[in-house]
Amino acid sequence: MTALPTENSATRLRRPRWLGGGSFAIVAFAAAALALLLLLAIFADAVSPYDPLRQNLMESLQGPSAAHWLGTDDLGRDVLSRLIYGCRIAVIAAAEATTIALLIGVPIGLFIGYRGGWWDWVVMRIVEAIVSIPGIMVAIVILALLGTGLHKAMIALGILFSTSFLRLARGVVLAEREEVYVRSARVIGASDRRILLRHILPNIAPPLIVQTTLTVGAVLLAEAGLSFIGLGVQPPDASWGTMLSTAAAFMDLHWFLAIPPGIAIILTVLSVNLIGDVIRDGIGRGIAVAARQDAPAARFKAIGTAVSSSLALPPPRPDEVLRVEGLQVTVASPGGPGVPLITDLSLSIGKGETLGLVGESGSGKTLTGLAILGLTSVALRTTHGSIVLNGRDLRSLSQAQIEEVRGNEVAMVFQDPTTSLNPAFTVGSQIAEVLRTKKGLSKKEAWERTVALIDRVGIPRPAERARAFPHELSGGMAQRIAIARALSCNPSLLIADEPTTALDVTVQQEILDLFRDLQAEFGMAILFVTHDLAVAADICDRISVMYAGEMVEMAEVGQLFARPRHPYTRGLLTAMPHASDRNPPLPTIRGSVPRPGSWPVGCRFSNRCDFAVPACATRIPLTGTDRLVRCIRADELVLEAAQ
Amino acid sequence: MSTDALLEIRNLDVTYWDRSLLGLKGKGFQAVKGANLSIRPGETLGLVGESGSGKSSIANTVLGLVPATGGEIRFGDVDLASMRTNYPSSVRKEIQAVFQDPYSSLNPSMTVEDIVTEPLRVHTTMTRDERRTRALELLKLVSLSEEHLARHPHQFSGGQRQRIAIASALALTPKLIVLDEPVSALDVSTQNQIINLLYERRDALGIAYLLIAHDLALVHHISDRIAVMYLGHIVEEGPSDRVYKSPAHPYTRALLDAVPLLDPEAQRRRRATRKALPAREAPRVAAQGCPYRNRCPYVMPRCETEMPSDFPVDGGGTAACFLFDRATAIPGPAIGQGAPA
Repeated sequence: MTALPTENSATRLRRPRWLGGGSFAIVAFAAAALALLLLLAIFADAVSPYDPLRQNLMESLQGPSAAHWLGTDDLGRDVLSRLIYGCRIAVIAAAEATTIALLIGVPIGLFIGYRGGWWDWVVMRIVEAIVSIPGIMVAIVILALLGTGLHKAMIALGILFSTSFLRLARGVVLAEREEVYVRSARVIGASDRRILLRHILPNIAPPLIVQTTLTVGAVLLAEAGLSFIGLGVQPPDASWGTMLSTAAAFMDLHWFLAIPPGIAIILTVLSVNLIGDVIRDGIGRGIAVAARQDAPAARFKAIGTAVSSSLALPPPRPDEVLRVEGLQVTVASPGGPGVPLITDLSLSIGKGETLGLVGESGSGKTLTGLAILGLTSVALRTTHGSIVLNGRDLRSLSQAQIEEVRGNEVAMVFQDPTTSLNPAFTVGSQIAEVLRTKKGLSKKEAWERTVALIDRVGIPRPAERARAFPHELSGGMAQRIAIARALSCNPSLLIADEPTTALDVTVQQEILDLFRDLQAEFGMAILFVTHDLAVAADICDRISVMYAGEMVEMAEVGQLFARPRHPYTRGLLTAMPHASDRNPPLPTIRGSVPRPGSWPVGCRFSNRCDFAVPACATRIPLTGTDRLVRCIRADELVLEAAQ
Repeated sequence: MSTDALLEIRNLDVTYWDRSLLGLKGKGFQAVKGANLSIRPGETLGLVGESGSGKSSIANTVLGLVPATGGEIRFGDVDLASMRTNYPSSVRKEIQAVFQDPYSSLNPSMTVEDIVTEPLRVHTTMTRDERRTRALELLKLVSLSEEHLARHPHQFSGGQRQRIAIASALALTPKLIVLDEPVSALDVSTQNQIINLLYERRDALGIAYLLIAHDLALVHHISDRIAVMYLGHIVEEGPSDRVYKSPAHPYTRALLDAVPLLDPEAQRRRRATRKALPAREAPRVAAQGCPYRNRCPYVMPRCETEMPSDFPVDGGGTAACFLFDRATAIPGPAIGQGAPA
């Protein structure tokens, strides 16, 4: 949840932008090629220089000339004319077979996928029997029953290719029917038919379009193949397949005969696939469309990239474990300077101290934790700042050195324990593996230490539970295991990213107690990332409040809750569900957190702040010595604590 | 229980069966065990519990997404439980829903106009223009505007999506809306915006809510009554303020106490008190007797063998706990310590 905006921007960047840059030319070329194919198919009679069937044995097997641009074949027929008439056959063949495949495959696939049960079982066994035999064999068998000829061959191919549409439609429906929007449709009272056709079908269109274009390509090839072996288009009619068949017979005498139909097939198949991709991206779930609208890079340019370095660096302390100064993380944007996600972030954590990093989704708090570990995704870059852990700047280390640091000196606990543990291995082996690779323990020593650790995090019957798989444990147990794994090498810094958010409150309470106990015992520093101020109040010594990629307030926990100084902190506190005991309207912060790239100039909270003045439009530094605040009116405002 | 109830659930059982290979019934898991609930017209019932407590199973059963395996769900003069999941259109249009995840509950390929007017297409013969007029009214009700009509869900934030889902649920002005964790995926500042919106709309339109949530503090702001579930049982039920401020059942108290206080000093004191109590490391599922007895600090010999029935509590409502059994007249522990002052 917290990483959503980042994910969005990353997805945007990965999406090819078909309508921009050099790829536009390729798309235009493909579209032109297909348009030409269609035009030639329709107007073959008008544009062909010769009758494709007119023989002239005097001029057989000629190379390209002014009279015959692409030469002549063994019977002296004009190759260009035959190629043009072949377009017509290709279009008819592709349209017929693909339509038949779609009409048979999609409805049956939708039906059995949605209905499931007995229908699904029977149909899928038949489909498996068909696909287990080589496709061309199936087509030949069907043709043996139907007889030869273009239309019969296309019916055979249609039936053959319908199995792939059927399996695709079924697979997508199986996934989509579990979506909440399908449940919503059912609650509204929509009939099964309506749910299938109106709600589910549009969402499976993107993969179907891709499959359709692939099928068109495959049909063209299969038609050529069937005609080549004499089961499709019958001589003397011209199709690209029969032309190739002829060319093969005269390969020694006149190799050029194979070139025109070969190029025609390759160009057509490539163009169809490319156009299919473009259509899919156009009607896909719209992420690509959104990217163009937002244009975060462009907007950020207007704001300017100059980020004034804050004056308020945390004072150096003797027991400092982690010290971050002026951290900036940006997401790459093509042709721009990159969109910043975190700017000018400085913090420090001492031994045995817990620093809370608090904020709403999109504030950059989770990303801060990942950036410290150097675990950000490929599109993200840490552009400025230093991350000093135990006196060493992590940004200056090599990849191998960083890997050495991870797990040993710094470890991480994630939000969802059921996904952060590998489901394929027992929980004990996952802890033992860390001990063996990082500490070089023997198999036996590692296992003993593992059981001791599992015991230490409060799991009864540790030796037995070490052999359990993650899915056999409850969420709270799995999180205890994840904590045991993180602590296995006795790190000096533990980064906990929303470690209790996925848990029930009674379990959350136990896990928070565990963190406290372990910290008292091992003395590690904890960077505790959470959206829940109450949890932060319970576990943290100091709290940093983040908003839109920067720290807006930092204070000792008691002070922060008694006397918040930033209006955003105050807003968060009063909005907590148990902060007030009254009927709605409950206090709110108007609007929502702005996305990276559309942050207001100056104070990023100014557009939602009740206390904003014109001066807030300038860049506001973080001020203070003991407790820090980023608000120019901090001194004049008296903000009440939540009651 | 009153007879003028809009929705009355009696002895509801919901069991999920593992399907074996041949489609025969395998092992069953009973998610809801003999639940009783009632909602009057225009009233909000908050149904609270932790994951696996069966609260969402009740919601799904009322919505006809999951069949009841026993008991009754009376809605007006029909028994929904006997219909399995095949509700007639007359019932469907009276019960609507808003689900938790605003990112998957809206169909990504439909426009806001399509989403909001879909119930009208299914249940009415309104023309396109009439539907559009209604869509505009609905968007206004949830503080969105005309310019949003043609957009797709991905262009909205989580809070805005939830507004769209609410607009769609309001389209037919149903008698009951089931709200399944409607704000738990949202940030705190957005949560309150949505809670305020739900509250306003309820009062303006006289709609009853069945509000499913895990956070008692949040639910109590807009609920008239609150029911608390534990392992498939409803362990406490009563007026919202009484349950929140003077929780009766030991589980309700534990649930409230587990939410950290916003005052670090008070929280520190509370933690110290809690940690002074003897730890109870016991399996959570009790085979017979009270489902909570293995975690309960007030456990009595009776709790091991007997299932407590719903005993009346001072201040209204009931608690399924022998501490409130007047027949045995054991002085119960002072109630009213659960809620923060």
